[in-house]
Amino acid sequence: MMNPEFKRNLWLSFSTHKLIAMPALLTLGALALAMSDKFSDRTADNLYTAAVSAFIFIVWLWGARNANLSIVDELRDKTWDQQRMSALNPWAMTWGKLFGSTSFNWYGGAICLAIAIPAGIIAGDKAWMLDLPAFVATGIMLHATLIALNLHTGQMEMQLIQRGGLGWIVIIFTLISFNIFTDVFIIEHDITWWGIQAPGKLVLLYSTVLFGICAVFSAWRVVSNALQVRTIPWAWPLFALILTAYFSGFSASASEYPVFVISRIGLVITAVMTYGTLFSEPARLPDWNMLRLRQQRNDWRGWLQNLPLWPTTLLLAFCFALLGSLPADNPQTGLGLIYEPFLALPVGFAFMLLRDAGIVLFFSFSPKSKRPGSVALLYLIVLDALLPFFFKVAGLDAVSYFLLPLGNKYGAAVGVMAMATQAIIALGLVAWRLQQSKLAEAA
Amino acid sequence: MIKISGLTFDYPGHRALNNVSLTVEPGSVTALVGPNGAGKTTLMRCIAGLETPLSGSINVGGMDVIEHPREVHRIMGYLSDFFGLYQELTVAQCLEYAAASQGLAEAAIPAAIRMTAQQLDLSDRLQQTSGSLSRGLRQRVAIGQAIIHKPRVLLLDEPASGLDPEARNHLAVLFRQLQADGMTLLVSSHILAELDEYSTHLLSVRDGRVLENRALQATHLPGASRSLRITLAAPDSRLADWLAQQPGIEIHDSGEDQALIGIEGDLLAQSGLLAELVKAGFAVASFAEYKENLQQSYLRSVATHLENMQ
Repeated sequence: MMNPEFKRNLWLSFSTHKLIAMPALLTLGALALAMSDKFSDRTADNLYTAAVSAFIFIVWLWGARNANLSIVDELRDKTWDQQRMSALNPWAMTWGKLFGSTSFNWYGGAICLAIAIPAGIIAGDKAWMLDLPAFVATGIMLHATLIALNLHTGQMEMQLIQRGGLGWIVIIFTLISFNIFTDVFIIEHDITWWGIQAPGKLVLLYSTVLFGICAVFSAWRVVSNALQVRTIPWAWPLFALILTAYFSGFSASASEYPVFVISRIGLVITAVMTYGTLFSEPARLPDWNMLRLRQQRNDWRGWLQNLPLWPTTLLLAFCFALLGSLPADNPQTGLGLIYEPFLALPVGFAFMLLRDAGIVLFFSFSPKSKRPGSVALLYLIVLDALLPFFFKVAGLDAVSYFLLPLGNKYGAAVGVMAMATQAIIALGLVAWRLQQSKLAEAA
Repeated sequence: MIKISGLTFDYPGHRALNNVSLTVEPGSVTALVGPNGAGKTTLMRCIAGLETPLSGSINVGGMDVIEHPREVHRIMGYLSDFFGLYQELTVAQCLEYAAASQGLAEAAIPAAIRMTAQQLDLSDRLQQTSGSLSRGLRQRVAIGQAIIHKPRVLLLDEPASGLDPEARNHLAVLFRQLQADGMTLLVSSHILAELDEYSTHLLSVRDGRVLENRALQATHLPGASRSLRITLAAPDSRLADWLAQQPGIEIHDSGEDQALIGIEGDLLAQSGLLAELVKAGFAVASFAEYKENLQQSYLRSVATHLENMQ
């Protein structure tokens, strides 16, 4: 039996009219281009470029819109509960949505490829063999990312997100990133990755396939949770490690201090991922109480299933920060963490992450706060930018440094301790909030 | 069929369900009643496995909902208060999708669609898109989606809201039919008169707690085998005292021109009492069995709850 979710999407995506119109329009377009170009010796090249452009528009842009709406519409039209209660397994639901909601786009994309491949062969440039699979993988990656993202952020408070606005940000980000990647990789010289030399385009293809697989996997994981197949959060930190390994591969192997480079890249990646999940996951008091209850019952599997994602990458961030402070593998060998400001910076940064997590939780646990994420963000901007700037221009450098001790002015130990103190204060506020909630509950 | 124990569910700053324990009998139609914000929808969503409670256990058909929600879904149908339909699909496609996604074998799907459409009087609408249907018909399609896999338990959250009287009546007939087929129904509604038509049990909730959970078949007042309302044509101050002297009678309410009593015994005892009343010179205008309706039952349980709170 055909996957019901895929079949439902086919019903919605196709009609006889659409089935005929897509090939007719694309073939007409290709013919018109070929005929208008008949005196040029670059007809095949131009046809290839036009087909690829059409593919990008139909599959990437239009397809991304449809993938975006496949979840947004379910949530908006209140059909999501029915899907959550269905007997479909998460993988069937994932691929049914992934390829079903974009089936019409893949239909058009396949026609574009059917034009591009012979055009590429005639043009005599073998680049199409690497380019086209990369374009297909990017399309899948984009669609899967949007499905995962929309489901993950489905409970967020912002209307922009509820209407799929975040999807459009991802679409724009992907287009820009792909452009940058293409600019880097399209150059004919070889690229070295972890000591392996390969043509730039091949690296681009492998990269898109890798991230395509990661995106489909993440969509499957998010759908699994939505369909009540509980998972424990190992995939998110693993993805952070994959990203770290991937990006480090381009620079760490060439560096004299590979561990130092890896730790810095890892820290940046885990920080971005921690902030991303910190603001996108619901961190409500009942969720916290659930964790507490699981812990009291020694139900560690349940505890892990209820654990948000951000603590996993926060923990990794501390690991990377400490890894980067190893004296043996640093540009300034022989100096330890406490003595060298350059080495202490990541540790201070990791404490900053912890402090910010505490601030977000403090506002999220408030019974009165209606938009805890937005309020926390506002306070973080004040704390990390406005206040340090204000105290600096007011000549109170020490106060400014205490708030944002990422510089080198008073030494590494002072910087780390200042940020650790802030983190302890933030966690203290969270503890106070929890105590207040217990008192309110008892009353 | 449904067994809930110590169920607690929190929303931020608000406890929606507070240590709820209850049982729903197999083959019953339980009216879930309570004011807005009482926790009815949350309770249903917890039973459906769509929300995870803070604590407590929910058992449906012998299966733990919290541990095995997907297994429970196989035997359960759920219609949420704000249900949605795929507007651009035809009724037949909606039903086919529901059947297939609930795991029905491909060969069994056409028959299931036919039967469900027949049950819901949708046979002549199968090729219409669901977006083009009226509210009542859409409601029927949504119910069809919930019952097409013949669940053993059906949860319906405000199924009659927005329906006209004819459609409500149709719904009542359907629910009775589903009950007769052996299905256990839990139905929440604000329209108690409508629930009265088909409910066998009352489950009353308020402030996240269960006020009352009992069978409605024995609709007589508690503590008596039969409830009677006596109405006199003219006020008679002797009525209460006279009734108090009669054996096997419990007075629940009495005035000079009417009384509500519980009487032990059968119809003969009832007929004997009537004869005695007439003989004693009371101008009996009516002497009828009294059945408490759902509205009265609910209000009484609320009143008892409020009294206990004071």
